[in-house]
Amino acid sequence: MIYTAILIFTGIFGSLLTYYFNNKLKLGGVLSSSLLSSIVAGFVHFFPSYIPQELVSHIPLIFIGSSFVGMVSSNQLSTFIGVSLSGLVYSLIYINTSKFFDGFGGALGTSACISLLVIMSIPYLRSNHKMTLGIFQLRRMMFKEKRKRRHPKKLND
Amino acid sequence: MSKISSNRVIRYSSLVMLFIIQLLFLLAIFKENNSTIALSFFIVLISFLLLFSFFKSPVHHNKLAYEKVYIAVWVPIGAVSCYFLNHQFGLGSVFSASLVGLAGALIPYLNKKSDYLSHLPPAIYCGSFVGMSNTRVAHDIYFILAASICTAVLLIISKSLLNGVGGKLGTLAFAGVAITYLILFLFSRA
Repeated sequence: MIYTAILIFTGIFGSLLTYYFNNKLKLGGVLSSSLLSSIVAGFVHFFPSYIPQELVSHIPLIFIGSSFVGMVSSNQLSTFIGVSLSGLVYSLIYINTSKFFDGFGGALGTSACISLLVIMSIPYLRSNHKMTLGIFQLRRMMFKEKRKRRHPKKLND
Repeated sequence: MSKISSNRVIRYSSLVMLFIIQLLFLLAIFKENNSTIALSFFIVLISFLLLFSFFKSPVHHNKLAYEKVYIAVWVPIGAVSCYFLNHQFGLGSVFSASLVGLAGALIPYLNKKSDYLSHLPPAIYCGSFVGMSNTRVAHDIYFILAASICTAVLLIISKSLLNGVGGKLGTLAFAGVAITYLILFLFSRA
């Protein structure tokens, strides 16, 4: 259970970190993804004794996959909430991934692409502007009934 | 006129192919884990959101463009170097892929004014994903070569699709490996 939580946390953290390097520090997608994942994979490769036995083979894989999530450009997805949610979806796909496609190169990239497209289908998460608009709309929907009640009263007065 | 319609055919067929590949990936998960209701529901929900996003969201450019062939040539180079690092030096798939990607990403800094060099990192990184395949799938270097050439063709025709979405390169590599595996499987049985 705790290992699953660590894997999910790694997925979210890796996608957020790569997104920050890619879009805020302007390093470019390929450089930020490969730099971060080579640091993590190199650490795991040379010092495997610092990491629990069950996680040694999984942490580099889940980190490089979540760094693909962070390669998204800020024109397509510009909220940190959206990026972390797609990191979460990616980790869930990775944990339950099928044995049939085990060992196919690019399977991690496919799961990253699926999780990004799933989050990008929700327009309110795509950009900050739309998210505030979405919150406004949600608030209006919640308080609509109150206003309706108030309105006829005024008319009656 | 005929050129426009053939462009449209290429565009829609590659789009549908990418979607089918991703759907197959989800279907394999669904088939192996259909005992748990929550996960099955999650996969079905994801599939519908994926369908919506593929055909409704503005992730594709309207104009069809092709990648240059002399950029796609770097896909097999990345794949072969990643395969060698992985299996000859035993660095592990992730470490070798990220090392190849890092080397590719530093190439544009050799000459910052060059337009050609600035397009190379995605192609090399895409190739390195092909080289991540393990020996159960890729028996020898020839499989990697064939799969990377298939991926290079896909990279050429899909320039205007899925712009700026992370994981596009991985999807292309997966499609290339899966198509090559399928072709070899069919020929080995006949």
